[in-house]
Amino acid sequence: MSSDVRFTDFKSDKQPTWCPGCGDFGTMNGMMKALAETGNDPDNTFIVAGIGCSGKIGTYMHSYALHGVHGRALPVGTGVKMARPDLEVMVAGGDGDGYSIGAGHFVHAVRRNVDMSYVVMDNRIYGLTKGQASPTSRSDFETSTTPEGPKQPPVNPLALALASGASFIAQSFASDALRHQEIVQKAIEHDGFGFVNVFSPCVTFNDVDTYDYFRDNLVDLQEEDHDPNDYEAAKKVVLDSEKEYQGIMYQDENSVPYHEQHGVTEDMSDIPDSAPDDAMDLVREFY
Amino acid sequence: MAEDLNWAIGGEAGDGIDSTGKIFAQALSRAGRHVFTSKDFASRIRGGYTAYKIRTSVDRVQSVVDRLDILVALTQRTIDENLDELHGGSAIIYDGERSWEAEIPDEMTAVDVPLKSLAEDAGGAIMRNIVALGAACEITGFDVEYLDEALEKRFGGKGSKIVENNKEAARLGQEYVQENYDLDHLGYNVGTTDNDYVLLNGNEAIGMGAIAAGCRFYAGYPITPATSIMEYLTGRIEDYGGHVVQAEDELSAINMALGAARSGARSMTATSGAGIDLMTETFGLVATSETPLVITDVQRSGPSTGMPTKQEQGDLNMVLYGGHGEVPRFVVAPTSITECFWKTIEAFNLAEKYQTPVFLVSDLAMSVTEQTFPPEAFDMDEVEIDRGKLVDEDEVDEWLDAQGRFRAHAVTEDGVSPRAIPGTTDGAHMSTGLEHDELGRRTEEEDERVQQVDKRNRKVETARTEEDWDYREFGDSDAGNLVISWGSNEGALVEALEYLEDDDIDVRVISVPYLFPRPDLSDEIDAADQTVVVECNANGQFADVLEHDALTRLKRINKYTGVRFKADELAESITEKLSEEVPAQ
Ligand SMILES: Cc1ncc(C[n+]2csc(CCOP(=O)(O)OP(=O)(O)O)c2C)c(N)n1
Ligand code: SF4
Repeated sequence: MSSDVRFTDFKSDKQPTWCPGCGDFGTMNGMMKALAETGNDPDNTFIVAGIGCSGKIGTYMHSYALHGVHGRALPVGTGVKMARPDLEVMVAGGDGDGYSIGAGHFVHAVRRNVDMSYVVMDNRIYGLTKGQASPTSRSDFETSTTPEGPKQPPVNPLALALASGASFIAQSFASDALRHQEIVQKAIEHDGFGFVNVFSPCVTFNDVDTYDYFRDNLVDLQEEDHDPNDYEAAKKVVLDSEKEYQGIMYQDENSVPYHEQHGVTEDMSDIPDSAPDDAMDLVREFY
Repeated sequence: MAEDLNWAIGGEAGDGIDSTGKIFAQALSRAGRHVFTSKDFASRIRGGYTAYKIRTSVDRVQSVVDRLDILVALTQRTIDENLDELHGGSAIIYDGERSWEAEIPDEMTAVDVPLKSLAEDAGGAIMRNIVALGAACEITGFDVEYLDEALEKRFGGKGSKIVENNKEAARLGQEYVQENYDLDHLGYNVGTTDNDYVLLNGNEAIGMGAIAAGCRFYAGYPITPATSIMEYLTGRIEDYGGHVVQAEDELSAINMALGAARSGARSMTATSGAGIDLMTETFGLVATSETPLVITDVQRSGPSTGMPTKQEQGDLNMVLYGGHGEVPRFVVAPTSITECFWKTIEAFNLAEKYQTPVFLVSDLAMSVTEQTFPPEAFDMDEVEIDRGKLVDEDEVDEWLDAQGRFRAHAVTEDGVSPRAIPGTTDGAHMSTGLEHDELGRRTEEEDERVQQVDKRNRKVETARTEEDWDYREFGDSDAGNLVISWGSNEGALVEALEYLEDDDIDVRVISVPYLFPRPDLSDEIDAADQTVVVECNANGQFADVLEHDALTRLKRINKYTGVRFKADELAESITEKLSEEVPAQ
């Protein structure tokens, strides 16, 4: 890790094809700054991205990276971290990617407490497929596939994470640049699974959950004297459907990440060029 | 006959059938005898018929046959299920004190041993199967000392008291038969040899091969009959700095394995048919991102949940053609338990040399069959690890473009690009399932698309010339009758040759371990008067590809009862097939 890394080192030379004004620009900037600020560089960072407008983030950033298949980014991140505990692993994707097709993996990545950060660009819509309902869409939100609204309550990713045993739960807003960066930084620094749900407005397909809406309604937990180490307080906040919060809802100070629980410390990429010295013992076990 | 023995124990699932069988198999192996085991089990944990069969000889045995000499029957159903295989010289050990009245045909020898009460005398009813083993030793003249050794190995960890009790149980069984029966006329005499053997099954050989090859990461989701690979690696791979993750499903398992592989670890996942279906989604990503990954399919009977505990070789089409779009792959299928070991190592080398997914295809029969081998059959000094074009900090420079960006998907003559793993300075790059340029960035440019598709396909062409895609051959190489097979049928075929020889039928057997790329057998098929393809599936999937390769029609022997081929039965089928009219060309 070199100390002279600047956040632009995490930027690729590909120009984003996101719609002008898309929340993902702000989300990405914050992520790059947070990575640089926490002392990482592109050569020791692995970014895994999902599929969706949000998933394109891997293309616009520069590091070791994999842009996977829809919904499966978290397992990839898990594999990377297990093989290479020395790497900084960040997983990014959308609400559809993470809470719909990838919901099963979400629950398990959370409970495994793999030491990586997970940034979800939650625009409450499917952007890339042009405006269908997502799992976080409001029940009366009209879309091309739900002309009268989904008529089912949205997934509450924060509560889902808490119920799954999360050790770090946070929410941020793409356009509150400093707070967003700070929160992602905390997620990176957290020893374990650092989950950040980011309000990242889709200016093209979602005219309800807009920048204005979040600006007017967002409550910052810092101003509410919320103690993230207080589990009971966290429960209250994540279950409060009346308000939109930003900040760290919950952090377990005693969190021990998966690889440490399992005693995985070695760099698994380093293997000898022949069978291990004592390999015949493996055969003799079958006597 | 005296030296050959077919022994079985059968009862209800939960009766300890498996561990009893394994103990006896180990005892025979310790005595230097060749052993070949097979299992019948139903897909349930308690209840349901289950049996463990052992064929043992001083000569090499590699198949089951239709013959049973000594049967330990814990239920009447065990006798009924095996009636066809029992014969006049068979002895049936059972416990007459138990509530069932054993119905045993007159011509067979009933050996009524109070298994349960003798076990209780030795310290607990749970040891009744061990009493039966002692009785079996007496009937067969097998030195009970080797059984003692196996009991020590099995129960040593549980303390000397348990070991002693079990030895006592065996002794009581042995003495009971000695005192109450005179069975010399049966003529069994199971001798010992100086051979030094290990006893293991195909899944254990795959797990051992993976560790030998430097596999460090394994992610899987439990499914019969692949689970025992995960069970083998768990608890052993850690000794080499590796780790096993039990994933939430197969989608997750293959993606975890992919993540580890991209980070530079030798990585593997294993599953069976239904799991391969789920993994197919990610299969194309593995191929287009050019990630070295070994995906093991231990086939079982399908489709859908099919017969999960039964044998089949029905996934060939899936591993050859599965996945949307067109992606290069290698498909390697071991034909024996030793090959399970060696082909696993080869699979890892192929994966890294060509940065391609490799399907390692085995089947249920191989996965549950234990067989004896000299330890040198797994000579670790022979293991070679080839990591392919892995570039370090210095070599990266050669592969940077004018702007200093790493060309992870550089278009090369052999189709293989340099590979930089995370941490390599200046090697940072993105990989994606989207079509991409040399840098790994999305593209829809016609030229770039064609270049990348051709590049990936070229890897297979390179491998075709660089590697040996040979086959194994048995029997009479000049014979006009050619039999071709793949997977675990090899052992039964080799033994079938002996039966055919007795009938003066000359056969050349070709057993193919590479399914893609595969050896070109056109000349062999042309040279033969007739060719029969043997496989455990209904439609002859391998026969189809061979017909396609050789542009001719072939005869087929297909078994899809859920049970593997037996040597004697196979000899009969081959004789019958050869006498049928040759199909029209
Ligand atoms: C297996 C599979 N199913 C469907 C798709 C099509 N698809 C692409 S992106 C997407 C939804 C993305 O929504 P979200 O994750 O919310 O991301 P956004 O585009 O809004 O950022 C879908 C359904 C796909 N690529 N793969
Ligand atoms: S469609 Fe929505 S989410 Fe996608 S780039 Fe445009 S604004 Fe962003």
